[in-house]
Amino acid sequence: MTRKPMIDKDRLAAFADGELSPEEAAAVVMHLADHPEDQAWVDEVMAANMALARAFAAPMAEPVPDRFQALILPDADPAAHVVAFRPRWSMPRIWAGAALALAAALAVMAVLPEPDAGLRVGPVAAGSALETALMAQASGAVQPLGEAGQLTILATLPATGGYCREFELVAPETGDIQLGLACRAGTGWAVDVLLAETAATGGETASGYLPASGNDAGAIDPWLDRRGAGMALSADEEAALIQHGWSS
Amino acid sequence: MTDQGAEIAFRRELVGLVPKLRRFALSLAGHMQDADDLVQAACEKALKNRSQFQPGSRMDSWMYRIVQTLWLDDRRRHKVRGTSIDPEDAHLSDGGKAASLPEDRMMLAKVRVAMGSLPEGQREVLSLVAIEGLSYRETADVLGLPIGTVMSRLSRARDSLLPKLGLAEGHRQ
Repeated sequence: MTRKPMIDKDRLAAFADGELSPEEAAAVVMHLADHPEDQAWVDEVMAANMALARAFAAPMAEPVPDRFQALILPDADPAAHVVAFRPRWSMPRIWAGAALALAAALAVMAVLPEPDAGLRVGPVAAGSALETALMAQASGAVQPLGEAGQLTILATLPATGGYCREFELVAPETGDIQLGLACRAGTGWAVDVLLAETAATGGETASGYLPASGNDAGAIDPWLDRRGAGMALSADEEAALIQHGWSS
Repeated sequence: MTDQGAEIAFRRELVGLVPKLRRFALSLAGHMQDADDLVQAACEKALKNRSQFQPGSRMDSWMYRIVQTLWLDDRRRHKVRGTSIDPEDAHLSDGGKAASLPEDRMMLAKVRVAMGSLPEGQREVLSLVAIEGLSYRETADVLGLPIGTVMSRLSRARDSLLPKLGLAEGHRQ
């Protein structure tokens, strides 16, 4: 048996790097049994490979940093996670138009004789003008709420266990403003609070409204906080909810 | 697949590659901050040139290539001499996560310094083979080199790296 190495360094390295076929590798293993100096070198190459892998392994143990998330998947930003049921880019712009069409249909319905606009604290009666508005009216649009006045939905906000809508009702004769918050409750809506602006008199109104401290939408904040409400949704996000009947 | 669907799939695959790209960039650049700047530039380039990526081909190879090209451009522009890794920084750059024993940490710091002292061409080849686990053929494809060049660079890289690591002693019989 010859003492000269029959296998050169490159082939030994190829063995250490896993480049050889099973047959070739078996031949190298046979060779190494008789050549401890080559075995030592193969061990050293393998140890170096492992050391290199470990020396630069830190990024593999870390989550993808925010800067790359934001760059590569900008639409998966934290603000969007509350409505993660649908990626933002898949919402066609025409849905805003659909929402407008719905609002127009609502306007027709709202002028039908309506005994009760449904405007009181507590569950909103199914089929009432308020329920219809909460279901279908886009934020910013102004619609008559039965005989009660002009209703504007101010915003839709994600909240614990569902969504809330902040609204404002302006009485036709007096111009009095009521500010309210309604939230999803089961398959319907419930009004959490109504704040009435009582300009001169102060005190409670006949229907038990709480007086708001001036014409200040911030007065409703404590009720928003209680619901764990987040930032207002975008028009597209809101339109999608309206489109899907608020079921997420 | 719709074009929009393809773009989403592309972006998801890309974000999944970020840890490996950061590791590769770190092995080339030596500092996490430089590595992240490199990966950021590479991702921006990839997003801009998405049409040049062949769907169904390996995105990791494509991205390694982009990272490597940008790194070389950057090196040429700044023309820093030799290593840019100082032992102190190399010692701390993994926050001690990869190693528990002090001797082990010392050894890994030595590996980083030794890697930083290799010429660019050797460092790229060694990183793709030993760290990223690519075959010689895949490495040759990523770097656009003949496979013989990959093997000779690998050989020279080991000739200069191995004696600096002092790994041999424990294995001598």
